[in-house]
Amino acid sequence: MTAPLLLVEGLTRRFGGLIAASDVSFAVAPGEIFGIIGPNGAGKTTLFNVIAGHYRPTSGRVAFEGTDISGHASDEVGRRGIARTFQAVHVFKNETVRANLHRAAILARRHNPLAWLSRHPHATPDLEGTAAFLGLDKLLDNVAGSLAYGLQKTVGVGLAMMVGPKLMLMDEPAAGLNPSEKIAAAALIRRLRDERGISVLLVEHDMPLVMGICDRILVLNQGIPIALGTPAEVKSNQAVIDAYLGEDYEFA
Amino acid sequence: MKLRVVYGLILLLAILPWFIGSRYIFHIATMIVIMIPLVLGMHLMVRIGQLSLAHPAFWGVGAYASALLTMRLGMPPLLSILVGALIPSLMALVLGPIFLRIKGVFFVLLTFAFGEIVDLVFQEWTDLFGGNSGLYGIPKFSILGLRLTQIPHYYVLGLIAAVLIYLLMRAIERSDIGAILESLNEDEMLSRSMGANALAWRVAAFVVSAFVAGISGGIYAFYIGFLSPDPFGFQTIVDLIVMVTVGGAGTVLGPVLGAIVTVPLPELLRDAREYQLMIYGVCLIGFMKFAKQGLISFIVDKRSGA
Amino acid sequence: MIVNGLLGGLIYVIMALGFTLIFGIMRIVNFAHGEFYMLGAVGVLILFGGFGVNYFVAVVAAGLLTGALGMIAERVLFRSVVGEEMPGMIMSLGLSIILQSIVLLALGPEEQTVARPFSGIWRIAGAVVPWDRTVVSISAIVVLVIFYIFLKFSRLGLAMQAVAQDPTTASLMGVESGTIYASAYGIACLLAGLGGALMAPIYTIGPYMGQNPMLKAFVVVVIGGLGSIPGAMLGGLLLGLTESVLSTLMDSTTALIASFGVVLLVVLIRPNGLLGRTVR
Ligand SMILES: Nc1ncnc2c1ncn2[C@@H]1O[C@H](COP(=O)(O)OP(=O)(O)OP(=O)(O)O)[C@@H](O)[C@H]1O
Ligand SMILES: [Mg+2]
Repeated sequence: MTAPLLLVEGLTRRFGGLIAASDVSFAVAPGEIFGIIGPNGAGKTTLFNVIAGHYRPTSGRVAFEGTDISGHASDEVGRRGIARTFQAVHVFKNETVRANLHRAAILARRHNPLAWLSRHPHATPDLEGTAAFLGLDKLLDNVAGSLAYGLQKTVGVGLAMMVGPKLMLMDEPAAGLNPSEKIAAAALIRRLRDERGISVLLVEHDMPLVMGICDRILVLNQGIPIALGTPAEVKSNQAVIDAYLGEDYEFA
Repeated sequence: MKLRVVYGLILLLAILPWFIGSRYIFHIATMIVIMIPLVLGMHLMVRIGQLSLAHPAFWGVGAYASALLTMRLGMPPLLSILVGALIPSLMALVLGPIFLRIKGVFFVLLTFAFGEIVDLVFQEWTDLFGGNSGLYGIPKFSILGLRLTQIPHYYVLGLIAAVLIYLLMRAIERSDIGAILESLNEDEMLSRSMGANALAWRVAAFVVSAFVAGISGGIYAFYIGFLSPDPFGFQTIVDLIVMVTVGGAGTVLGPVLGAIVTVPLPELLRDAREYQLMIYGVCLIGFMKFAKQGLISFIVDKRSGA
Repeated sequence: MIVNGLLGGLIYVIMALGFTLIFGIMRIVNFAHGEFYMLGAVGVLILFGGFGVNYFVAVVAAGLLTGALGMIAERVLFRSVVGEEMPGMIMSLGLSIILQSIVLLALGPEEQTVARPFSGIWRIAGAVVPWDRTVVSISAIVVLVIFYIFLKFSRLGLAMQAVAQDPTTASLMGVESGTIYASAYGIACLLAGLGGALMAPIYTIGPYMGQNPMLKAFVVVVIGGLGSIPGAMLGGLLLGLTESVLSTLMDSTTALIASFGVVLLVVLIRPNGLLGRTVR
């Protein structure tokens, strides 16, 4: 196996007495779509927030491209090439789609006032191209907040793309979407990897989607990792089936 | 377009003092143009979502510093004003990384306490600042052998500074920097996830806003010719908040309008301070309740920008 | 000295509790809090000093009037800015200066005093304690105990506590949010009014008398943790005691700078206050 893009080792995060993530370890290979599933409150978002630098890990380590990034601030993590989308819609609601994408580009490149003065040589990410990739090219001049929920989530993906990431953390990209939008979302995630070379770390409740596009899956239950493997392996794992018992998930 | 009318009106107001010709009107006009950079500095902080109560202190530091640089070191006044304004920005550069880690209420309290302490230093360090009895004998402003002795001279000086700083602030707002600051204010978590160093940008805004406050202070010092700690305390905080609120925080033009309508008030109500307080209070509540975007919202809707 | 510190501390606690309650529940920094304190004192000045009503009756009446005024202010003004920090601050600042100017118009700028309802001293362990301060301290404790019982045992009190701890649980408690806002602001103003009313015979009364206690409440609440009720209690007593100790050891300027340093330290080390919630 090639050197992992993202390496998580023994990661634990406590909130007071509650252990939201407990001794979680996994590795995401370059070009992989890696899924994390688990019932509500399993600690998936918490894990994302720790990787993305929004929370400090209580213990354990996160490394990206071989560099330890545990406890780094979220903007630093972002600049290293990890972008993220959020479980709830996060876009600049009062701005047009174009302005949203533009803002993402400048926030990434002009990340502080000195970077501003030094006039980074970075190429401007292709705004039109990104919009076309996402199917937003006709909506560039619409105000983001006025778009349908699913489209706002797509704009969120666009913001993450404008950063020029190597890895994208996606927190429930299909939640709240209708069936046809879900199919489109699955296709989009695949295309991110296939056409843009962006690896994806995906949290999602929609089982058919997860099983359909992920290369490997980690299952969490109450913060504890209970299984890790290919979709087929995970589906047949007894601990996983027990954890989901009583929940109306379908392992399609 | 309505906005043109407003600019025209402001221009008209700006030249009005020469038609009236009274010293009193010139004085009020001069105070307005001196307050404009200060309120614009305060406004920049409001734009990043922080209510800074330190700005009257920055204003005062700029004022004392530029007066003393000329009095003690014999610096030419224009240089004193510029160097004097660097001192509050330096303070902002040092304090910003501490204060701006903290959002909202804590920031308000810390900046307030900072302002109180600066005010105390002005009062207690009598050797340097002259204490409560004041700092006398600030020379007249002069540049290239030209001495400004009349109020209208200072009005022109203040007007030039106000216009330049207004243009600077407008340029910041319209540039990508404005977009970055606004993004951070709107959704910090999102902006940071894309790589923006929120603290660094906030500190930069704090430094710039302290600098323009300092410029305003320098001009004030040379105009008034005498400094006491009095104007740099809590009353000015209230004045500034009233200006930003009345004018509207949404655009750079708002606080300018706020200064134009608010600064004359204490002069008009000179003998009735309690009514002035009352009017201030009613303005604050009225605008917050019925027109959060201030006067400017009656003229342009926010999206079209000003 | 300790008694002075204790009394100061108790008043800070009374002020800070209301302040923190309003912030915890409505996310509003109530800059007008000191003016409600001032109104309580003015109430006593008029009722007790002017009409000769019994001191305790005057205190209770002044407190209730202040509380009622607070509820009206909440309904008319603050309801529309609940949760918006900046407009809330600006609005409360507006209310604060309006109340100041009204009292300034009514009473004039001179500081006034009311006759002391109690006089004389008593001794404890060699220390001399004036009676009036003793009575005020005991009354303040009574007020705090009543408030504590209300919080711990009434449905409304429990709901308010829950909301202050975690605003998202508001709807879960089954108490309508409007009721919570009105009662939180009202009770906070009632407390401030009682504080001012109790202090009326001890300090001079004037339009600006509320500014200092408001600031102290602000500091206490920051030290104790915004929205934290135990934090406000602890912080208030701590501030009262340290203040009276500091002021005997150094001049007031140094004391002020020292207390600023303490606040700065607390804010930096524990941004959520000593007893605040620990969310990064
Ligand atoms: N900031 C916080 N403070 C305290 N507890 C928290 C915090 N964030 C999350 N938690 C707790 O950690 C646990 C895991 O939450 P998390 O949001 O990570 O779950 P999740 O797997 O993303 O759930 P969902 O599928 O509902 O999104 C929950 O019990 C939650 O209440
Ligand atoms: Mg989640």
